[in-house]
Amino acid sequence: MVMKNAKNAHFWQIDHKIKNILEVKGVTILPSPEAWEKFKWTRKWLVKKPKQGYFIWIKNQVNFPLFACISIAHKNIRQELRNLLIIEENLKISLQGTCNALKKNLSGTHEAQGKIILKQGSSLKYSHIHSWGEKDIVEPNYEFILGKDSKLDYGYKTLFAPKKLRINNLFNLSAGASCNIKITANCVQTKAEIKDILFLKGKGASGIINLRLVGGKDSKVLARSQIVADSESKGHLDCQGLLTDKKSEISLIPELVCKHKLAQITHEASIGKISQEQLNYLRTRGLTEKQATDLIINGFLKI
Amino acid sequence: MLLEIKDLKVQGNGKEILKGINLQIKKGDVQVLLGPNASGKSTLCHAILGSPKYRITQGKILFRGKEITRLTPEKRVKLGLALSFQSPPVIKGVKIFQLLERISSTGSLQFKKNEPHLLKRDVNLDFSGGEKKISELLQVLSLNPKLVIFDEVDSGLDLKRVKKVAEMIKKELICKKISVLLITHSGAILNFLKPRITNVMVSGKIICKEKNYKKVLKTIKKYGYEKCKKCPFLAD
Repeated sequence: MVMKNAKNAHFWQIDHKIKNILEVKGVTILPSPEAWEKFKWTRKWLVKKPKQGYFIWIKNQVNFPLFACISIAHKNIRQELRNLLIIEENLKISLQGTCNALKKNLSGTHEAQGKIILKQGSSLKYSHIHSWGEKDIVEPNYEFILGKDSKLDYGYKTLFAPKKLRINNLFNLSAGASCNIKITANCVQTKAEIKDILFLKGKGASGIINLRLVGGKDSKVLARSQIVADSESKGHLDCQGLLTDKKSEISLIPELVCKHKLAQITHEASIGKISQEQLNYLRTRGLTEKQATDLIINGFLKI
Repeated sequence: MLLEIKDLKVQGNGKEILKGINLQIKKGDVQVLLGPNASGKSTLCHAILGSPKYRITQGKILFRGKEITRLTPEKRVKLGLALSFQSPPVIKGVKIFQLLERISSTGSLQFKKNEPHLLKRDVNLDFSGGEKKISELLQVLSLNPKLVIFDEVDSGLDLKRVKKVAEMIKKELICKKISVLLITHSGAILNFLKPRITNVMVSGKIICKEKNYKKVLKTIKKYGYEKCKKCPFLAD
């Protein structure tokens, strides 16, 4: 399903090669090394000259979803991506980012560092979808910089989790900015470390982080989520884990740091298992135990 | 015979709950099983459907001539057995319409028009008593059943809703010659559905089988289930 769409991608990279870049009016799309050469100001965000990755600079309103796709197609590929997305003031943008392995046994490494910059009053709906093989190592590391009164709706989902998954997200919110973060991962034989920091810098900033993590088939999942309130702002963490086998482990560590007396920050965290009652119920609806388990997991991962 | 239960003994948590049940249900039959709380009615429902929570220690269950005593719940459902739960569990994130699409034997959602507001909600999440019954009914109808067991079909419903549920059961099941076993301890629904046989269960045994449900209800109302125990015409 992912590859069928890739042909329509505005930026499409396979292994280390740019497969395609589609022109969009009012948008500059380039490989990030080229942007680093062409636009000196990008060096504020891309410290070193990147080896690979995308640069997407949105200057005018685009009324359809933009699509970036980065795939691994061959064995033992190591991608070191440096991505930069900039949305100019008051634009309302939708983006789908898909990163995947085209086969299950490629033993690839996908290391991505990115900066997503939303300028004043802009809005981004970003659907970030990952689908990996069982031997891959995946390390996305993104910083979201939200300008005044900007709005981010970010959903990260792993359809198939890799062997190792290390996620680092930092959300920096200026005054009046808001974000709704949804991170879902169905971990099967996966070692996952997920770290999210929501930094409420400006007055009136608000954000929610929702985590839904499934640990199955000998998985080890560690999620640290933090809200730091530096102003009169609001934030909430909702971390939930679901263990689906005896050998797996999930650790959820929510942390609240309040540096302003008028800030309101809260959290909730829970880890549960699939109840026998739910399984039996669905089996009396004709589903096998496996089908019932999958349905319950899919439901849990929907936020 | 559609369903035949022979001398069934069932344990739950190591304790014997059903102590030798005999029950026969024909095609198109409507029967009721009455009994006080904790008499074993729900255990019987779940044992018929093959819940792993219960262990059958003796006896047989035959459905459409085939022994199903050791079959998994899903295989029993495929043969045409269906159970409407008294207290169905919540399945968060799964909408009723998604579940119906998934389990529907015909692949079509014939009841889409009926309860549009209910279809878009998470399965059993914050459902009222009436909504639970309607949702259960929609689900069992999607399974194209031959026999539907309703566990505590009228519990938690006011008379208006009892009538609504009864009308749906009549229209969608009884009129189509689909067999129905109603489990209840109040009997409020019986005036609408008029069962052919009324069974009374006390302490894990069916102790009475009677054609006139009104007579049984009257006796229970007047003297309680204790009177049934002393009845000279006990079933077993």
